[in-house]
Amino acid sequence: MAKLILMCLKFMVLCSTVEAVFEDQVGKFDWRQQYVGKVRFSHFDTHLQSSKKVLLATENNVFASLNTRTGELLWRHVDKIGPEGNIDALLQHGQDALLVVGDGRLLRSWEINVGGLNWEIVLDSGSFQSACLIGQQDIVKHVAVLKKTVISLHYLSNGHQKWIENLPESDTVDYQAVYSGGNGDVYALGVVPHSHIAIVVYSLEDGEIIKQISVEAPWLSNIQASCAVIGQGMLTCVDSATVSLYMLDLDAQSEMTQIPLQSLGLDVTPGFQPVLVSTQPNPAQPPLSEFFLQLGPEHHLLLQLNDGQIVTLRDFKPAMLVSFATTGEKTVAAVMSPKNMTACTINLFSAESGRRLLDTTLIFNMDPNVGKPEKLYVQAFLKKDDSVGYRVMVQTEDHTLTFIQQPGRVMWTREEALSDVVTMEMVDLPLTGTQAELEGEFGKKADGLFSMVLKRLSSQLILLQAWIGHLWKLFYDARKPRSQVKNDVTIENLSRDEFNLQKMMVMVTASGKLFGIDSKTGSILWRHYLENIPSNAAFKLMVQRNTAHFPHPPQCTLLIKDKDTGLATLHVFNPIFGKKSHITPPAMPQPILQSLMLPVMDQDYAKVLLLVDDQYKVSAFPSTKNVLQQLQEMASSIFFYLVDSSQGRLSGYRLRTDLSTELIWEVVVPTEVQRIVSVKGKRPNEHVHSQGRVMGDRSVLYKYLNPNLLAVVTESTDLHQERSFVGILLIDGVTGRIIHEAVQRKAKGPVHVVHSENWVVYEYWSTKSRRNEFSVIELYEGMELYNSTVFSSLDRPHAPQVLQQSYIFPSSISTMEATLTEKGITSRHLLIGLPSGGILSLPKMFLDPRRPEIVTEQSREENLIPYAPELLIRSEWFINYNQTVTRVRGIYTAPSGLESTCLVVAYGLDIYQTRVYPSKQFDVLKDDYDYMLISSVLFALFFATMISKRLAEVKLLNRAWR
Amino acid sequence: MASPGGQGGGALSTRGGGGARRMKWALELSMGNTRSRGDRQGGQGDVVYPIGFSEKPVPDTSIQETDKNLVEKRCWDVALGPLKQIPMNLFIMYMSGNTISIFPIMMVCMMAWRPIQALMSMSATFKLLESSSQQWLQGLVYLVGNLLGSALAIYKCQSMGLLPTHSSDWLAFIGPPERMEIMGGGMVL
Repeated sequence: MAKLILMCLKFMVLCSTVEAVFEDQVGKFDWRQQYVGKVRFSHFDTHLQSSKKVLLATENNVFASLNTRTGELLWRHVDKIGPEGNIDALLQHGQDALLVVGDGRLLRSWEINVGGLNWEIVLDSGSFQSACLIGQQDIVKHVAVLKKTVISLHYLSNGHQKWIENLPESDTVDYQAVYSGGNGDVYALGVVPHSHIAIVVYSLEDGEIIKQISVEAPWLSNIQASCAVIGQGMLTCVDSATVSLYMLDLDAQSEMTQIPLQSLGLDVTPGFQPVLVSTQPNPAQPPLSEFFLQLGPEHHLLLQLNDGQIVTLRDFKPAMLVSFATTGEKTVAAVMSPKNMTACTINLFSAESGRRLLDTTLIFNMDPNVGKPEKLYVQAFLKKDDSVGYRVMVQTEDHTLTFIQQPGRVMWTREEALSDVVTMEMVDLPLTGTQAELEGEFGKKADGLFSMVLKRLSSQLILLQAWIGHLWKLFYDARKPRSQVKNDVTIENLSRDEFNLQKMMVMVTASGKLFGIDSKTGSILWRHYLENIPSNAAFKLMVQRNTAHFPHPPQCTLLIKDKDTGLATLHVFNPIFGKKSHITPPAMPQPILQSLMLPVMDQDYAKVLLLVDDQYKVSAFPSTKNVLQQLQEMASSIFFYLVDSSQGRLSGYRLRTDLSTELIWEVVVPTEVQRIVSVKGKRPNEHVHSQGRVMGDRSVLYKYLNPNLLAVVTESTDLHQERSFVGILLIDGVTGRIIHEAVQRKAKGPVHVVHSENWVVYEYWSTKSRRNEFSVIELYEGMELYNSTVFSSLDRPHAPQVLQQSYIFPSSISTMEATLTEKGITSRHLLIGLPSGGILSLPKMFLDPRRPEIVTEQSREENLIPYAPELLIRSEWFINYNQTVTRVRGIYTAPSGLESTCLVVAYGLDIYQTRVYPSKQFDVLKDDYDYMLISSVLFALFFATMISKRLAEVKLLNRAWR
Repeated sequence: MASPGGQGGGALSTRGGGGARRMKWALELSMGNTRSRGDRQGGQGDVVYPIGFSEKPVPDTSIQETDKNLVEKRCWDVALGPLKQIPMNLFIMYMSGNTISIFPIMMVCMMAWRPIQALMSMSATFKLLESSSQQWLQGLVYLVGNLLGSALAIYKCQSMGLLPTHSSDWLAFIGPPERMEIMGGGMVL
């Protein structure tokens, strides 16, 4: 037995390809970009003048620090997905940053220089309301956390709880805010909606209730939305119904004073809820008595509370965004106001007087592809002459962060929309302009000898011109110092490389921003922001025309569907330049259910897109006469299927010549037992080179390559671990015939599926054995092909042979995809994204249901690995070595021009691009190939033959003379 | 070089030397023939043919009889040559085994190439056998021997798995079938 195992091991080592990158290959053809997501809280590190840090807490549950000079990540902490890792509050004091995480579950303190965790404590249960730093006599030592029913005080140094108190009447009073003015009291502010405000004052020392007041406020419903504490403990609220400010001294008064805004000469934009913005530069000091009042979308006022009187310091109209910033003892207000259609100006004002500070204008150019500014973060600092300088970080609607220095120099931008890529495609780059010109000449239809000659001459002229231009550029660049010569990839010099390894990655993000990224360097070549994208939109990206049809530009179509209304729009664009196409997409008044890309082309080489609406009527785009005629001719062979998971229904339709449809089959999966999780067809651009597998006796087992096969995955609705199951159905999409059905009992999702060639691989959680398992199904026609020339689902009398095997996998997985190559000759690998951030390239050879339990001569001949239930993860299978890809959501594979090479993009919070060689680089010379040695040996041999030939001649002559 | 024909050539050249004896000196280009050198030495004076010497060759009838037998034998040797090779080939085949590596491949190539070469130069062999009375039988035996040799080579190729006789050998030529239906769709968006 031991001998057998040893033999198996040897066999495995010999058979499997080893493919890890060498140290000097790191970063040569792969790159990674790290993102943080949409920013929720941000603080500049202000405790040091020379600090270069900005702290960000984002909606993706990421806490990170950026270098403000370059925009690079200094450190980043990624918490759990979902509400468990949600960051509720970010407070900063000195070198420490306090984070409340997971709806008040955890309180953490981070050291911001290196990003280390100081301490972490688990808070009592209860939903989180508010947190605030508490100081006394200019020293900040505590943090107060207000929850629904309790208030607790913790030491900043170690997180220990100083005291915890129940809030009085917490079942009726909604406590929403906590405040401290630095005098040793902690105020918990609560509201009974439309009735009164409840204020409870606790002593800092022991948590004793000092005072408890209740103030009538029948107009108030939410403290956080409409109130702020200003000056020496003056609670100020604004009410849009009575259009007035209400003020209450937290220490003295027991009744609110009403100040109608009209008495100040102000009025609110109708329908706008006014907002108060105050600032408390030091937690041990009361807030400033200056505050902003926003009265309309573009109308802000800087007000001051002076002896109980409100004074208007300055009226900003129009002003989109305002923000306070403090440096040293000075507090300034930054105001962003629109300058013209494409630019905004930001000015700095003294908070105390409202005077504009000199030389503080900063211009922010609004890119039309960026969207409107949403938030303004100001980093103020004292210059040498004691005046205030500043830099701003602007967050725009598309989640982009732009960091700007005076007088408007953009220091860096971060496209945080890329942290949420929904779908992507890779498009071939166009040939160089000159190549394309030549190709275009031959692509056009011949029209007479003379004009062809003229065309040829003109294209030769263009070639000559390009060559001279190239020479001139070379000459020009040679004169410049080497460091200045930039080798940047720009849209202008984009061209396809020899082996088509460089492509354009078109990425669609959830925020509605589209990106064009160069796959070689990862630089963003174009961006396009689609405005008014609903937050729950579904996207489907399709390439209608690639770059192969030269005079016609490539064309991509993005289908955007609003899930609420069901209405869809099409965005047609050029994937190389990102420009919106001049082709007007059809208006779609009906909700769209699905789309279908046909391999049929119109006269302009654009593939036809069929859109199916909720009446099951089909509309074509483009819908020219030519297309409609073609559709009529082939209507009887066009089928489509729709899967409605809410009703558990799979239905197949056939197209009629009048572009209506008829239902031809329907499969109903009872929704009370199981629900459809996913449906996977085959990728349309997949090629299978070999139609069968060679057996040990040299006969052929033919693959069942049904292009219409669908893998439908269902999960049971009953999640009890004894009764839950995972089902997989293989259905022919044309006829609706169920080819195979497998049920995995005592198994649970999430199920990840890959469907390719003649196999389906899926992964699930086995509740019985408590482990992750892989299962593979392979379909074979048998030893004879039924019909080797055409495949029609309507004419398949024989059912395929089905083989299945399962394996144990030592890790859970995030996503899975198969490699794809140009001709399908290269062996396949599965690319598996692991939650640990690794991307594993697992040879499909290990997932083969023909792996024998007993090794025979024939199975050895076939190179089958003996069956072993465990699949091992070998560290050299990680294609991303130490470049962790956090939260992988999807992996995209695309073939390159080289048969051995497959391009891989993994996206999630990070984006990682690399190449994989499933059968090693059999068609490429190695990187370290010794050209010098080979050529020198060649030359040496050549000269040796010349010399020896000469010598032989001389010798022959001499011998003849003897 | 000590064949009778060579001797005769030497004798002819001697006569040539005799013809050039009146010359003051002569350059002898055919070297290594001691007899001619001796002739030259003896050729200082007039050459007197010995008694009974005739310049015409005397036909020898008795030798012709055995010659014919010899030719026949020789022709059979030629005809049976390929057949005699077969046991040897079988032995080599057995020794080289069925693994595909450089030496067995070289052996097989040689084994296959020799009969083919022989068959191609069949006409030359027939010319060789022209003198024999059993020319046609010998030719047939020669042909059968070579055919057997090549059959053996083919058998060897077969047992090494070099012949495309299995369906798997033609697998690469089967193209992907053309798809009759166009299908697409998916989950309701």
